[in-house]
Amino acid sequence: MSLNPAMKRYNRRMIWLWLIYAAFLFVALYTFTHRLLGGPGTYLVAILPALPIIGVFVAVGRYLFEEQDEYLRMLMVRQTLWASGFALSLATIWGFLERFDLVDHIDAYYIAIVWFFGLGVGAVMNKLTLGASVQC
Amino acid sequence: MLCARKSDFTPAQRAHTRRILWLLLTYAIVLPPLVWLHAHRHIGPTLSVLMAIAASIPLLGIFASWGRYLSDERDEYHQALALRRIAIATNATMGAAIVWGFLQAFGAMPLIEAYWVPFVWVVLQGVAGCVAAFSRGAAAN
Repeated sequence: MSLNPAMKRYNRRMIWLWLIYAAFLFVALYTFTHRLLGGPGTYLVAILPALPIIGVFVAVGRYLFEEQDEYLRMLMVRQTLWASGFALSLATIWGFLERFDLVDHIDAYYIAIVWFFGLGVGAVMNKLTLGASVQC
Repeated sequence: MLCARKSDFTPAQRAHTRRILWLLLTYAIVLPPLVWLHAHRHIGPTLSVLMAIAASIPLLGIFASWGRYLSDERDEYHQALALRRIAIATNATMGAAIVWGFLQAFGAMPLIEAYWVPFVWVVLQGVAGCVAAFSRGAAAN
């Protein structure tokens, strides 16, 4: 399947955002490992790797906005709904397991990682129920 | 007066609202005794897992109810509005989770239970619903 212009832009944005993420994460890890900053600066550097990942969510939103093919858009909307349901449900269950001291606390960004995994779950569900999935 | 009439809602919206209210009521009834038991009695791990799942079920039901609503809604305009709301709530919630997660990872913020993330999502949906209902009421007046 050839990629339409919206998909190509989406892929390009994703590649850039993940590259920026790798660079920002390296900066943050280096800064914290070597204790280069203190005070409010630590908050800014801690938030730095979060920004490209927030950009990834924005990129998914922009793709939905820019996609002209209604069928492909519907497939992506279904994928994101599956991802949200999957991530929020797992977060709920994990949260209560934490509350009752059965599992350790996790950093909240793991929920976003589960969301990205949920996109894959959504693609599988689309394939199973509609026989097609978005192939960006 | 800023209030929405029953006729302002589609049948799918009414069913969804009914489901959400029942689920929240169930949550409010189920959670306090579970928290009390955990705090005041020594509970084994198996029962604790069951308690954690029991506390999760009403919230999972809320997510399922949103899926059901999107599938039941026949009015394409309302369906599109709901999708938009879900997209905004999800982006805002995930954004907050990522920022908080990195602040936790670098020791700038304390670790919190993961259910606060879906809690933020549900609250955002509630706020968006209230804003929509008030806007409808204002428009009708």
